[in-house]
This record gives sequence, structure tokens and C-alpha cells, in this order.
Amino acid sequence: MADSGSPDSEPTTRTLLRRVLDTADPSTPRRPRSARAGAQRALLETPSSRRLSSQTKTTARRRSQRIRSIGKLAHVQASGYLEEQTPRTLLKNILLTAPESSIVMPKSVVKPGPVPQVVQPSSRESSRGSLELQLPELEPPTTLAPGLLAPGRRKQRLRLSVFQEGMDKGLPLSQESRGNADASSLTSSLNLTFATPLQPQSVQRPGLARRPPTRRAVDVGAFLQDLRDTSLALAPPDTVLEDTQPFSQPLVGRSPSVHHSLPCPSHSGAEDAERAVSHRTRSTGPRLQNNSPGKPAQLLAGKAEVDALAMNFPNTSSSIFGEVGVEPLQDGVGGEAEERTEKSLSMSKVKEAARARGSARAQEPEGHTQVTEAEGSQGAIETKEPEGSSGDCPTSSRRVSPELASSTPEFLQAKRIQGLEPAPPPSTAVLPSEPLEPLSARLPPRARTPGPKACQNPYKTGLSHYAKLFSFYAKMPMEKKALEMVEKCLDKYFQHLCDDLEMFAAHAGRKTVRPEDLELLMRRQGLVTDQVSLHVLVERHLPLEYRQLLIPCAFSGNSVFPAQ
Amino acid sequence: MVLSTTVSQRKHIKRKAPRGFLKRVFKRQKPHLRLETSGDLLMHLNCLLFVHRLAEESRTNACENKCGIIKKEHVLAAAKVILKKSRG
Repeated sequence: MADSGSPDSEPTTRTLLRRVLDTADPSTPRRPRSARAGAQRALLETPSSRRLSSQTKTTARRRSQRIRSIGKLAHVQASGYLEEQTPRTLLKNILLTAPESSIVMPKSVVKPGPVPQVVQPSSRESSRGSLELQLPELEPPTTLAPGLLAPGRRKQRLRLSVFQEGMDKGLPLSQESRGNADASSLTSSLNLTFATPLQPQSVQRPGLARRPPTRRAVDVGAFLQDLRDTSLALAPPDTVLEDTQPFSQPLVGRSPSVHHSLPCPSHSGAEDAERAVSHRTRSTGPRLQNNSPGKPAQLLAGKAEVDALAMNFPNTSSSIFGEVGVEPLQDGVGGEAEERTEKSLSMSKVKEAARARGSARAQEPEGHTQVTEAEGSQGAIETKEPEGSSGDCPTSSRRVSPELASSTPEFLQAKRIQGLEPAPPPSTAVLPSEPLEPLSARLPPRARTPGPKACQNPYKTGLSHYAKLFSFYAKMPMEKKALEMVEKCLDKYFQHLCDDLEMFAAHAGRKTVRPEDLELLMRRQGLVTDQVSLHVLVERHLPLEYRQLLIPCAFSGNSVFPAQ
Repeated sequence: MVLSTTVSQRKHIKRKAPRGFLKRVFKRQKPHLRLETSGDLLMHLNCLLFVHRLAEESRTNACENKCGIIKKEHVLAAAKVILKKSRG
């Protein structure tokens, strides 16, 4: 819109608005406000060379202003305080507070303050499209100006020159891209926009400059090894029933960093190592040749594993030697060990170190580092020792009991590293002294039975179960003879019980003993009274799973379980 | 199934009911009878309560004799009383 009369060479919203205000209907109804309007107009004329870019908005404003001024003649006149809300006053405020800057015009001298702010975030976000870079520049100054500029952002103007430089550098390119954006591919605009945002960022806000992410080269070998380990370890033995501590996470986090701090052991149990080695050689001999073209990349992985093992072993040593829990673990991990491909003949040193670590639990970092260095010096095959040893431990330990104690921590920890839950139940009864005994005493494989005389006499087993409960309830030490006495009493009791149940069932004319018979029996015994019902007893003494089976409970869908 | 409910116990007390054992015992005693599914759970409950009462009685006996250990005699005397009580 050509504007010859205005003081500015270029038509801007501001000038247009000013013109509008000046030429506006003087019969705008506010006679009392005319003085104020005049004062405001005077203020308006003082700022010079104010430009706002969106001319469409100017015209719209003008039109709306006119319409509103005419329309609001009547009611605005009446209310005094509404005069501040009129479009005229609003626009005047805008003109007053808007900075003397325009949007990004290529040759313009000053730029609006918030524009760099707006452009930067928008450019950061839309780093892909040059068009998007332009649009926010156009819009925000008009939309944000009233909002942002009212508080008076002096700070932004300081950086205008800097931004300007950046923009000048970037704009000629972006201007071209603007024309090409429609036709050209994104790649060209991509290149352009990458340049522009970075400069303003780094120059204006050095703190926000994004550092390139430090990338380590991916160790494919170690990665594959870890993959294999986790895949193997994904079939954990079903011993992990009670211990739910997340050992795996701290271990995994620690394993890469633990490389150097190794608690080290005194080298005891050398004979065990020899035995282990001999056994291992048997099992690993055929595999060695296949895997001798080894994977030196897995050196680090293996070492980290061992180190993590060593590191975490003292922490968890107290809970590790759960023999009962260890065995099934061994069986489960043994399967994995078979699949492990890294075995080596000379794993003795690592095994020795590991076991000594396990048994003695002494911390001598020097010794262990020596051992590991010796390992490393021997070659690629031996570097697989750590990985193989943990895998081999279970196979060998199953047959060679002395390895039991030390191997358990190894493969336990190895399993933990692989992200499994720790296996050992909180068997506090199995104290650290135990592993030492089997180490030295038991050479032949231990035939483990779940309980005394279990296979021979299942009846005795059941009775002993209740005898243990008796000692638990008594809370006092007991003689062994007293326990045998208890078992006799239980036997008699069972006989009585069955007879009574038979009588009750026969009394009811049935051949099947039902829960009602049991309840009647308990009532007669004096356990169930009018005060104490059967359900109360069930809740007191039975675990939840049985409670659910015994006590009918209503569920959704109008169903009751168990059904009656 | 819950194997142990308390951690403070030195030994692990199995809360599992030896259902197979109980069924076998009943079958041995009364082969012509049948036992229902929930019946053996209630049987187990009955046994628990019996053992509980027996233990309490034995402890009382032992404490009366100012003994720190439950002896065979205490158990025997207690069993006499409790078995009589448990007769249906």
C-alpha cells in the first residue's frame, strides 16, 4: 500500500494504524475522552519508524476498529471504565508498547526483540523445513508483540545486532530456499536450516550449545557375547522363588566400571582348581578347536564379568552359599554352560582366583590383578576364561563338589549380570563356613535328598513335616526323642481322625467325606465354637492360596468361588 | 505356594499342605471312602491345630518342670491330654 503522506517510507501496520486513528471518526462518541485520545495520538506520533509486517492484519484491524467504534458508540459511552478496553485504546497501547522493529526483512535495520527468541525455538523445532522457519517469523511478531512486549523486554534488544548478523548470513540462503522450497526437495532446505539455527544458538547462548554426543564404537563381539549370555540365561531354573532383590541392576551398572578394583583372594584351593581344570579340559577339549579362532573382542566383556563377579561377591557372599538353592541353580545353568562356546584349557588361573575369591573372601587386589594380567598375557584363548569359567563352573561343580562353594558365586553372579534374579533363597542357615567344609571334605558327588528318608518312607516324611511344625510352634529347644514322640502321637491322631470322618460320613449316609464332616469334627473337638467359626480358623492358620479355595468369596459377574 | 512366611525363623517352615500325603494316609486307612478336594485342606488345618495344641501343652509341661528343653516326658503327658480332647 503506497503511502506517500506518512513519515515512513514503507507502509507498516503501525503507520497505517496511526493514520487510521488520526483520521478516525472524530465524532467517536467520547467527548470526555477526546482529550485522552488526543494525548494518546500525540504519543503515537512521537515514535517513529515503527513497522509491523502483517498488512493484512492492519487492514483487518482497521475494519474492525471502524466497525467496533461505530457499534460501541452507545454502550461504551455509558460505562466509564470500559473505555480502556475499546479497540482504539488497545491499538494505541499496542502502538505504544510495540518495539521499533519489524520482522525479518532482509534489509531491515532493526528486528523485533522477541523475534530472535521466537525464531530460535521455532527453528530448533523445525530444523527440517525452511518454510517453517519463515512462518513463525511472520506470525509471532504480530501475535506476540502485544503479549510479550508489554512488560518491556529490554534484554532481547541487546542481542539484536548479534542475531542480525546471524540472520544476515542465514537469510540470503533462506530467502533462496523460500523460493525453492516449493519445488526443491527437503534436502536443500535441510542443509540451509542446519546452518542458521546453530549460529545464533552458540553465539547468543553458549550454555545451550549442544555438544555432539560422544559415541563409543560398538563392540560387536562383546555385544554378541552379551546377547548369547542373555539368551542362554533366559531359562532360569525355578529356584528363584523367594529372593526378589534386584541384584541384576546394580551389577550391570557396575560391571563396566569395576574393571580395576578387584578384591582378590588368597590362592587357596589349588587342588580344586586342578581337578576343575582336568574336568574342564575333558568337556571343553572338543570345543576349543572350534572356538580357538577366538574373539578377542570378548576379552573385555569377560573381564568385566569376572570383575563384576569379584566386586559383588563380597557383598553378596553371605547370601550366596545357600546350598539348597545353589544346586538347582547349577543344574539350570549347567545347560547353559554346555552351550557356551568359549572354553579354554588354561582357565585354571581364573578358576583358582575366582574360587579362592569365593572361599576366602579376602580382598587383595594386587594378587588378583596379577592373576588377571597373567591371564591376559597368555593369549586370546585364555581371555575367554572368565566367560567360560562361569559357564563351566556349573558343569564341573556338579560333578566335583569342592567347586560347589566357589562356583556358586561365579555363576550366580554371572546369572545376575545377565539380568536374572538372584537364585539363592535367604538360607541364613547355610553360613559361610559351610562351603569350606564341602570343599575339603567331600570329594565324591553328593547325592542330595530333599529330606531325611524321603524316598524310603514317604509316610515318615509327612510326619516329620508336622513334627517340624511342632517344634516351630513350641518355640523351645527340643530333644530328638521328643520329636520322635511327637511323630508317634501324630500317627495315632491320624488314625483317630480317619475313624471319626468315616463315622460322620456314614452317619450322613455318604461314602465320601465332605468338608461338612470336617467342620463337624472340629466342632466336636472344641476348635470351632459359636464364637470362633471355621472361616476364622482358616484365615488364621492357612496361607492365602488355601483360604481362597476354602472360603467362598463373591466375585464380579454374580459369581461365587468356590461354587457351592 | 508359600514356602516360608517368616524370615526370622532359622529354619524354613513350609506352609504348604502335604495334600498328597494326607490323601494317601486317608486312603490307606479307609480305602472304601473317598475324600473331597477341599477336605484334605481342612484335614491339614485340623492337623495344624492339633500340633499347635500339642506344642502349647508340651511347652507348659516343660515350663512347669522348670526345664529349658522340651523332653519326651513332657510331650507324652501332653499327648495324652490332647488326644483325649481331640477325640470326636
